[in-house]
Amino acid sequence: MLETVLQAVVNGLLIGGIYALVSIGVTLIFGVVKIVNFAQGEFVMIGMYISYYLSTQFGIDPVVSVLISMPILFVAGVLIQHYLIRRVLGLNDLPQIFLTFALSLLITNLSLMFFTANYRTIHTWYSDEALHLGGIYIPYAKLVSFVLAMVLSGALWLFLRSTDLGKAMRAASQNRDVAQLMGINPNRVFAVALGIALALAGAAGSLLMPFYPAYPMVGQVFVLMAFVAVVLGTLGNVLGALVASLLMGVAESLGIQFVGADSGLIVVFVLLLVTLALKPSGLAGGWRK
Amino acid sequence: MIKSNLIYKYVLSLLLVLMVFLPLVVKSSFVLEILVRILLFAFIGTAWNLLGGYAKQLSLGHSAFFGLGAYTSTLLQIDLGISPWIGMVVGGGVGLLASLPIGWLCFRLKGPYFTISTIATANVLMLIFLKFRDLAWGAEGTTIPNLGNAPLMMQFDNKVPYYYILLGLLIIALTITAWIERSRMGYYLIALGEDEDAAEASGVDVVKVKRNIYMISAFLTALAGTFYTQYIYFIDPQTAFNFNVSIEAALVSIVGGIGTLWGPVIGTVLLETTTILLQSYLGNSIGGIQLTVYSLILMAVILVRPTGIVGYFKEKSQARSST
Amino acid sequence: MSDALVINNLNKKFGGLHAVNDVSFSVRENETLALIGPNGAGKTTAFNLIMGFHRPDSGSIKAMGHEISGLRPHEVCKLGMARTFQVAKPFGGMTVLENVMTGAFLREPKTHASREVARESINFLGLGPKEKFAARDLTTIDQRRLEMARALATQPKILLLDEVMAGLNPAEVDQAVELVKKLSSRGLTIVIVEHLMRAIMAVAKHMVVLDHGQKIAEGSPDEVIQNPEVVRAYLGSGYVKPQGESKHD
Repeated sequence: MLETVLQAVVNGLLIGGIYALVSIGVTLIFGVVKIVNFAQGEFVMIGMYISYYLSTQFGIDPVVSVLISMPILFVAGVLIQHYLIRRVLGLNDLPQIFLTFALSLLITNLSLMFFTANYRTIHTWYSDEALHLGGIYIPYAKLVSFVLAMVLSGALWLFLRSTDLGKAMRAASQNRDVAQLMGINPNRVFAVALGIALALAGAAGSLLMPFYPAYPMVGQVFVLMAFVAVVLGTLGNVLGALVASLLMGVAESLGIQFVGADSGLIVVFVLLLVTLALKPSGLAGGWRK
Repeated sequence: MIKSNLIYKYVLSLLLVLMVFLPLVVKSSFVLEILVRILLFAFIGTAWNLLGGYAKQLSLGHSAFFGLGAYTSTLLQIDLGISPWIGMVVGGGVGLLASLPIGWLCFRLKGPYFTISTIATANVLMLIFLKFRDLAWGAEGTTIPNLGNAPLMMQFDNKVPYYYILLGLLIIALTITAWIERSRMGYYLIALGEDEDAAEASGVDVVKVKRNIYMISAFLTALAGTFYTQYIYFIDPQTAFNFNVSIEAALVSIVGGIGTLWGPVIGTVLLETTTILLQSYLGNSIGGIQLTVYSLILMAVILVRPTGIVGYFKEKSQARSST
Repeated sequence: MSDALVINNLNKKFGGLHAVNDVSFSVRENETLALIGPNGAGKTTAFNLIMGFHRPDSGSIKAMGHEISGLRPHEVCKLGMARTFQVAKPFGGMTVLENVMTGAFLREPKTHASREVARESINFLGLGPKEKFAARDLTTIDQRRLEMARALATQPKILLLDEVMAGLNPAEVDQAVELVKKLSSRGLTIVIVEHLMRAIMAVAKHMVVLDHGQKIAEGSPDEVIQNPEVVRAYLGSGYVKPQGESKHD
């Protein structure tokens, strides 16, 4: 019994690492640019397809292809910020919500048109190999992706703490007007935030390929997870998103194990609704009066 | 002023007469189908618009009420033999009641996170109906037994009566909207949509107003759910709680003009016409093309004219009076 | 004359910041009280507490004899208190008339009656000719007028004005001062937060000074500006006049 629970927890943590990459991106954008990127999942999907084609056409291992998908998506983020997002900043909610929502619809359906709905999978030499640690089964592919996800998250954390640009982003996140007065160019900061967030999403996609199929709608599952993690981890809080993602991975996994194979999602949603009911400001948020 | 009011009433009456006599003139089943689709989404859009357009509470989870309405009337019909006419009203009531806990939960977050919460609750409902077979037939759903022409059970052997039902529903929804627009509630809705704090400071009980409009919006949307089930003789969780219903309700309102009376209607006409043109040019072969075009239109509207078609004209006339 | 507004030992902390620290004062009916203090002193927070946008940690707020701490803003408004915001918050998409009607609806549920009350309020504030303007198209001072008109339309007994003169040119300040006097002449009790000394002197006989969340002085304008604590708060210790001597350079 304990072994089953432990296995479920391990499974949950491993996938939680991927959720973290996606949700950190969402919370970063929300914290810095103050908009919610409904299309975040679609960039995971794009990362997946990039790795898929690099693997099938050039034999490049998906994990290695992270080095390619991340820069591509970073540039995409900068362009999207410059041409689209910048035009709806400072307006009220409606344009901001529906712009990224429309973007999400657009990318999903363009993918449907070009890639068709077929599931694409990659089979690597390590896709079926696993580490056996005291009765716990840890697939190499998931372990590698988890480790890399943590490395990337750590790198981001260092970036936010130590570099000027990172600090500028944190400043803009906390108080935009003051940041602007101090000479920080908001558009530049926003572009970098978008770039980083999308790059992380792309990395998540690439890391998923060895053990997850790519298809146009795949983004929607991850974005929903990401949103729940962002709320649970407190809006704008990167560390919170990380912790919440891991928690949710575990919750989902336990749900699948003990409630039913199709109940992972419902457990996560219930988690969201409970959070909303009891502490809407999330784990790190203050108490609202 | 009087003159334009008179013209408006004149055009409106003409339009009403047109819509009433249209099915008698149009014989093509295909065209009737399109008209039904237009009326259906104009109706759902108008219902959505009350909450999302006027009060700017951007829900993308209205499929929750659509599905609840659909399932309520179907369950009453199949399990208890109760006519869907009654089932429709009961379904509306169920939707209305559901909006209370859903609203309570979702309003705890603001802006985009409200939107996400509505998506989540609609999803949870779909998952519940998928998983719990004892509730209502589970994932396979059920068909409605075809009784041929049975007006008392909301079944007809041709499309025309369905058209009239929807026309009636749309007229009701538009009348409710127009009435609200002119009344205190209308002002309160727009005020809280613009600035909740300022509204509160001006004496608006924001919580109560949001709750009330959510109830009305949910009630109407649920009616549509019943209608649709009767129209296609089938129900399952994926259809009843389909995310596309939520999307399209918002979409037609935004494109046509949120927070305006005719916005959803105009938006529906525009989008459905586009769909038909697309389908005739490209056929149904390329999956995803319709939503691709919709999303491009939505993006264009958001970037260029977030207030939509009707909003554009309204702003022009407002600008004229500000000089 | 009885007290319209009584604040007793009001306290509010935000995390580590003690924004309002044991503040007490009273405002008599039809009096105009000026609430002043350096930036960050807690004046707007005090307004937010009084109006119900935040719940105080402790202390009591009595308006017209009723305890109102803990009530929601619209309930406070219903009891007879209205406010304007430091940064004007018009309902941008609505016209001036529609904006003010929103306030008028509190006491007049019917559209027709509400329109009448709104018009009266609009004319009082001098916005009559612009009643059909979209609120977002108004100039700054007109937006301030709109705030006041909308607040007035709720038929309050107490009016909280938050820096209505900020950013106005001298002529506009004079107009604003006249408006405040006019409002007072209607019998309203007014609490005004303001930085402009000459404006305050023109409208208020009673002042309360806040600094770092605490009340440091209270009295008539003359008493207050000579109070060493007040000088210290605004200008720093170097400017405090030692008793009986002239100021150092």
